[in-house]
Amino acid sequence: MLDLRVPSGWFFVILGAIVLVVGLVQPDLRAPLTDVNVNLYSGVSMLVFGGFLLLMARRALKK
Amino acid sequence: MKLAAVDYVILAVYFAFVIGIGWMLRKKVSTSGDFLLSGRSIPVWITSLAFIAANLGAQELIGMAASGAKYGIMTAHFYWVGAIPAILFMGLFMMPFYYGSKARSVPEYLKMRFDEKTRGFNALTFAVMTVFSSGISMYALGLLLHLVLGWDFNLCVLASAAIVLAYTYLGGLTSAIYNEVLQFFLIVAGFAPLAILACDRAGGWEGIKSRLPANMVHSWHYMGHASENPMGVEIFGMMAGLGFVLSFGYWCTNFLVVQRAMAAENMSAARRTPLIGAIPKMFLPFVVILPGIAAVALAKMTGPGGEHLYDLPMKLSGGANVKDYDQVLTTLMARFYPAGLLGVGLTGLMASFMSGMAGNVTAFNTVFTYDIYQSYIKKDAPDSHYLMVGKMTTIVGVILSIGAAYVARRYNNIMDLLQLVFGFVNAPLFGTFLLGMFWKRTTAHGAFFGLISGTGAAFATWGLTLAEGKGGIFGDIYTFPSTMAQNFWVAIMAFVTCIVVTTVVSMVTTPRTDRDMEGLVYGLTKIRHDEGVVWYKRPATLAVVVLILVILLNIWFA
Repeated sequence: MLDLRVPSGWFFVILGAIVLVVGLVQPDLRAPLTDVNVNLYSGVSMLVFGGFLLLMARRALKK
Repeated sequence: MKLAAVDYVILAVYFAFVIGIGWMLRKKVSTSGDFLLSGRSIPVWITSLAFIAANLGAQELIGMAASGAKYGIMTAHFYWVGAIPAILFMGLFMMPFYYGSKARSVPEYLKMRFDEKTRGFNALTFAVMTVFSSGISMYALGLLLHLVLGWDFNLCVLASAAIVLAYTYLGGLTSAIYNEVLQFFLIVAGFAPLAILACDRAGGWEGIKSRLPANMVHSWHYMGHASENPMGVEIFGMMAGLGFVLSFGYWCTNFLVVQRAMAAENMSAARRTPLIGAIPKMFLPFVVILPGIAAVALAKMTGPGGEHLYDLPMKLSGGANVKDYDQVLTTLMARFYPAGLLGVGLTGLMASFMSGMAGNVTAFNTVFTYDIYQSYIKKDAPDSHYLMVGKMTTIVGVILSIGAAYVARRYNNIMDLLQLVFGFVNAPLFGTFLLGMFWKRTTAHGAFFGLISGTGAAFATWGLTLAEGKGGIFGDIYTFPSTMAQNFWVAIMAFVTCIVVTTVVSMVTTPRTDRDMEGLVYGLTKIRHDEGVVWYKRPATLAVVVLILVILLNIWFA
C-alpha cells in the first residue's frame, strides 16, 4: 500500500524549493502590501514540512 | 491579477502530483468494494484529514472569507457551534452503527434499519444533490478564475473536471481520499500566509478590534437580539437551527463526509476519524475567516500618502454598486502575494475546488451503483459488473456536473431554487436518524412519513414567512430579520415535525422484532467500549479534549 507521506513529502519539497528559489533570486519581489520577502519564509516552511513527511515515511519503513 | 511563469509551474506540479497519486493507486482497484469503498483499509490520520477536506470546497473557502468580511467573527459559529459538536456526536454515537452494520452507504443503512422506500427517497435526492453541488462549485470556480485572471470559463470548467475525473477514475475512493489530504495541506499552505500577513498589516487582532464595530469582533456578546448582530439571528434560532438541526443533519447523515469515516481500517479508527478531524477543523476559522475580517480593517486604513491600503471589491447589481464579498479572498491575495506565493495560493484554491468535487463524485458513484443500480436496475450480477458500473458512473457523474455548471451559468434562478429544495429535503433527516438509531420502537412507515412531512413542514414554513424578500409565497405570517434566521427556523420546524410524525406513526404501526435490528439500534448492539485500550487512546477521551478546546475558543472570542 502506498505511503501517502512519500508523494506529499516530495510535493512540498519541490514546491518549497521552487518558492525558495524565487525568494533567493528575486529578494526584492514584493506585493503591494507586503514588506518582507514572503517567498523566502514560506519556501523554507514548505521545504521543512515536506522533509518532515519524508523523514516520517522513512522511519516507518525501517521498522 | 497577473500570473508569472513560476505560478504556472507550481500549478503544473500540482496537477502532475494529483494525477500521479491516482496512477500509483490504480493497481489497488480490483473489486467494486476497492473502487467505491476503499476496501476499508485506510489509516486513521488520512481518513481524518479527508473527512475535513471533502467539506472544504472552493465555495466554502470563498464563502467563509466573504462571510468574515460581512459578519465578522460570528462566522466562526459555523465551525465552533455548527460543526464541532455534531462531529463529536457522529464519531462517538453514530459511527458504531454505520460501521458496525456493514452498510456500504448511508441510504443502505436506512434500508437495513427501515425499508426500501426511505432508502430510495434518500438515495435519489442525495444523488441529484451531489451532482448539482459539484456543478455549482465548478461554476463558481470558473466564474472567479475568469473574473480574476481572465481565463476562459469553458477551459477552466472542462480542465478542472478532467483532472478530477482522471484521478478518481484511476484509483477510486482511495485516490480521492489520498488526494484530499494533499489538498488539505496545500489549502493551509496557500492561505495561512494570507491570514498572517493580512492580520499583521491590520495591526493584529487588537488592531482589527479597534477598527471594526464591536459586533463584528465578538461572537457571542451581541446574540441576545437579532437586531444587534450583523447576521440578524437570535441565540435560540442559532443554537437550535444551526447548532443542532442543520449541523447534525449535515455532519451525521451526509454520505459525503460519513463515507470518509466508513473507509477507515477498523471500528476504532472509524470512530476516531471525525474526532481527530475536529481538531484541525476548529482552527480553520483562523485560516479561512480571519482574512475576510482583516480585509474590513484594511479597507479603513490609509498609507503614508493617504492612499487606501485596500478597497472592498464592488459589483453592479440591479443598477447599484454593491459590495462583492465573494471576491474578498482573491483581491486580498493580489494585494499580499508576490509571484511564487501567489502560485501557491491559487493552487490552494484549485485544490479546495477539487477536493470538494471529488468528494461529491465519489459519494455519487457509490450511492448510484449500490443504492440505485444494484437495488432497482440489476440485482444479481457478478461483482466485476458493479465495478464497471461504478467506473462508468464516475464518468457520467462528472459529465452531469459539467452540465449542471452550465445550467447554473445560464439559469441562476433555477440553482437558487434547487438549493432551496435540497434544504427542505435535508432539514428533517437528522430526526429520522436520531429516532431510528436510538429508539427501537421506530417503524419503517414512521420514518418515511416523518421524513416526508418534515420536508413538507420546511416548505410550508418558508412559504409562510418572509425574510429580505425571500419566501412568503403562501402568505406572510411572520417576518424574519434575515434569510439566515429564516433558514434556521425552517430547519427547526422541519425537525420538530419529523420527530412528532415519526413518533406518532411508529406508535400505531407494527415494530420489527429486536433480533432483526441487531447492530442497527442502540440497546440492541454490543458497542465495544475499547476495553484494553489505554485511556488516552479512547474515543471518549479524545472527544472530551476537543470539547474543552472548542469551549475555550468560544470564550476567547465571545
